[in-house]
Amino acid sequence: MWTYVVRRLLYNVPVYLGIIALMMAMLRVRNPVMMFLGKSATEEQIADLTERIGLARPFFFQYLEFLGQVFTLNFSQESWQQPGKTVGDLLSDAIVPTLWITVPSLIITAGIAIAVGLVSAFFRGRALDKSLVLVATLGMCISYLVYIIFGQYFGAYKLNDALAGEGPFDGKLFAIESWEPGFPGNWIHFCLLPVIINVVVAMGYDTRFYRAVMVEESTRDYITTAKAKGASKRKVMFVHMLKNAMIPIITRVMTTLPFLFVGSVLLESYFNIPGMGRELLTAINELDFPVTQTFTAVFAALFIVTNVLTDVLYALVDPRVRLS
Amino acid sequence: MWGYTPWPIAALATPRARLLPRIHSKRELFPPRKTMSRKSLSPRLSVLALGLLAAVSPVAADPGGAADPGAGGAGDNPTVLNLPMRSGGPKSMDPVFGSTVYDNKAAAQVYETLLQYKYLVRPQEYEPLLLAELPKLSADGLTYSFRLKEGVHFHDDPCFPGGKGRHITSEDVFYSWKRMADLSNKPKSWWLFDQKIVGFDQYRAEQNAAAEDGGKFDYDAPVEGFRVINDREFEVVLLKKVFGFRWTLTMFQTSIVAREAVETYGTRIARHPVGTGPFTMAEADWTATKMVFNRNPNYHECYYPTEWMPEDVEAGFTEAAGQRLPIADRLVMPFYPQDQPMWLKFREGGLDFTQVPAENFREAINRRKGTLKPAYADEGITYHPVPLLDFIFRGFNMEDPLLGGYTDEKRYLRQAISLAIDWEEFNDSFYNNENVIYDGAVPPGLDGHPPEGRMEGAHRGKQLERAKELLAKAGYPDGKGLPVINYYSSNNANGTEQSQLTTRQLAAIGIKLNPRLSEFASVIEALNTKKAPMFSYAWSSDYPDGENNLSLFYGPNESPGNNHFNYKNEEYDRLYEQIQEMDPSPERSAIFERMQEILAYDTPFAGAMARTRKYLVNPWLKNFKPSEDFYNWAKYLDLDESKHK
Repeated sequence: MWTYVVRRLLYNVPVYLGIIALMMAMLRVRNPVMMFLGKSATEEQIADLTERIGLARPFFFQYLEFLGQVFTLNFSQESWQQPGKTVGDLLSDAIVPTLWITVPSLIITAGIAIAVGLVSAFFRGRALDKSLVLVATLGMCISYLVYIIFGQYFGAYKLNDALAGEGPFDGKLFAIESWEPGFPGNWIHFCLLPVIINVVVAMGYDTRFYRAVMVEESTRDYITTAKAKGASKRKVMFVHMLKNAMIPIITRVMTTLPFLFVGSVLLESYFNIPGMGRELLTAINELDFPVTQTFTAVFAALFIVTNVLTDVLYALVDPRVRLS
Repeated sequence: MWGYTPWPIAALATPRARLLPRIHSKRELFPPRKTMSRKSLSPRLSVLALGLLAAVSPVAADPGGAADPGAGGAGDNPTVLNLPMRSGGPKSMDPVFGSTVYDNKAAAQVYETLLQYKYLVRPQEYEPLLLAELPKLSADGLTYSFRLKEGVHFHDDPCFPGGKGRHITSEDVFYSWKRMADLSNKPKSWWLFDQKIVGFDQYRAEQNAAAEDGGKFDYDAPVEGFRVINDREFEVVLLKKVFGFRWTLTMFQTSIVAREAVETYGTRIARHPVGTGPFTMAEADWTATKMVFNRNPNYHECYYPTEWMPEDVEAGFTEAAGQRLPIADRLVMPFYPQDQPMWLKFREGGLDFTQVPAENFREAINRRKGTLKPAYADEGITYHPVPLLDFIFRGFNMEDPLLGGYTDEKRYLRQAISLAIDWEEFNDSFYNNENVIYDGAVPPGLDGHPPEGRMEGAHRGKQLERAKELLAKAGYPDGKGLPVINYYSSNNANGTEQSQLTTRQLAAIGIKLNPRLSEFASVIEALNTKKAPMFSYAWSSDYPDGENNLSLFYGPNESPGNNHFNYKNEEYDRLYEQIQEMDPSPERSAIFERMQEILAYDTPFAGAMARTRKYLVNPWLKNFKPSEDFYNWAKYLDLDESKHK
């Protein structure tokens, strides 16, 4: 297995180098210096700063230097737009709030969606199935932004208003915005509402996906055999069907993993959560190359690693899969 | 021998109301909190609430995230201001690196300048802040003499021996300004000193060259125009008379920093400010979502102003006259990259004021009357529209082969475009009719702004027939034969929609636009490289003097400088150089008028419009007279907790 893992990782090295080269080239279509210096820049200042931040050197040298930083895990380069903070500082500060939202969201969504998918598949074609599919489809039709805006308005502002002066919250059950570390109190206050919104949004997509997977599994011969042998409905669903549906479930969950570290630009922006999505968007908007490059490089690495891990997990859950 | 005269402050202001005499008032600094009234709660919500009691109880103590940031000397019942910042936050607290409004809002709480704006006086005037008195100006107008105020200390910080902030000195002023010359600091505002002080440009060139050659930027090397008399007194010698220089001394980029702090913290000074201001901020108190400032216990003697406008009495802005500053103990500044959470937080009572987002305007303001809606007024909320020193326009690149040039045909073409643009429609469609439309380049409230905003010879639309005539005279009857014009605009909030409106308005006379929408950085790049034939742009005055706006058309400032029109006119340039050296006077005003006539004739821009920023203030926030021209006003603010939600 380890040989397979190492080989797969090596195969991906050229892909990774290509991603970084492409990303760096795309960033350099725009000149950050003029934006950085603002409205009163002189030609002399532009030339000096271009030289000072290393953009005057040939692209190949900039590329090699950045690769060196990535492969030595050297994230000590200072942000161009946030002096006093290194890229490593920004990454480490942003990752925790993001994971506080995304990990619970993934776990809850996957758990509920798989269960709903199973139920829906089991009652396929009946009223319950149709209702669940209808709700999932409706959920998919509504924009993420709508969920956020309405969720914030009703889930935080209006609910808080209704709770004002009562109980221990004094109108402050869910925060309208902001983030503070701490569990469980602060997590419920600052993170639960964004997590609920995330779950509701993802439910539509995931439910339909898992239902389709379960429906496909429910028509397999082994299900008929299990039923013929007198296995209970619950056992058929949660033991036989669920186990055999693990490959697509793993695929779905694993492909989601890298995105856990990216967070949600919209959600973090509206709920003022200082996570990766907000940080990345700010860096892109402000042409903060060191931050954007490092975020992208880390994300690409995570994506490749989770892809390889997915293959390994296939072999672990399905004895028919051989890693070679 | 120099003959000194005080700066002609009075001449700065246009006629305004008589100032009222100094009033001293003493009052309780921390009034007792009033018990809050409580609404009834539905049983279902009560169950939900109780179910989460145990888990959330730590939150209830500090729901707004305004956690105790540390020492503030505030006692048990501190006065905590919650003032929103409508952005993702500042980027740097280092005065020489900062340049945005948000950098200014943050830095102005901890750093101070030699002069400051008078808080309550309009139009704006300045007064000493770190100085004992207004600087004195030599008879030839070239040498300024300064005397620092006694008792001004830097914040206590470990960078000082014993951690005790020392007294500021004349050397601190020059050190702080020299940092602007050091390119390794990536200074953004060198233009404030560029070609203004004797020997400073030479010093900058020499020291940066030495640093580039492997040496060091020597902050101890002398600058001919910087003269230290003693620890408290110093002189600055200018290359030529520059009236705007005194306004430079109010700008946060020229704030005084401690050399020990810069040398101790390096680039971390951007997040570890050590100034003389009314508040202090620890590094840990600047998170990604907010900043927390605490009262500076060693703040020098400053008092609430005793000069105000007549209307300030009724507004209650005068009650704190003579009170020692800062009044509040703590200042929490949460960041809002999105408007909705800021608005909801304000409505919830978690913010002391808010700017009114466009999407909430109709909810709060009666559009026709421009007054607060009764539901809001009944809550005691007050509405403060604040006109900005704004210059929003559509510009032309005077070097563009199609739109540029100084022949009559080229002028007719630009004038036709200007006449086809209907600013009233922009105001109605995008700004709830709150903006001010005016002729010329000098915004309302400043000397040089035409009476009633109207100027003879201006080409203000909408005048379609006249526009068509001029277009025909330009050689393009009904737009025939005129190539499509590339029009650069930012694709920000409503940039796309505004471009569509501009396109439609010009199509009415047969002119076709090709909107090139991109993020602001790309627009700036197109302007700096002279690639944009026509563009949408806005300029906010750096200081309240029309000269600042008129510098946008000064030939030597061509792109990548401020003159993105690349406009060149000998007479205009000569007049600009003249007003730079003049103090406010009727003669200077007349020159402003003449310069704008020249601009109207050549028409390097179509416009203009000035925005109004709309503030809603909760009833418990006291002394808040909103301003968008300066940002060190948090020190004047107080709370009336009895009115708090």
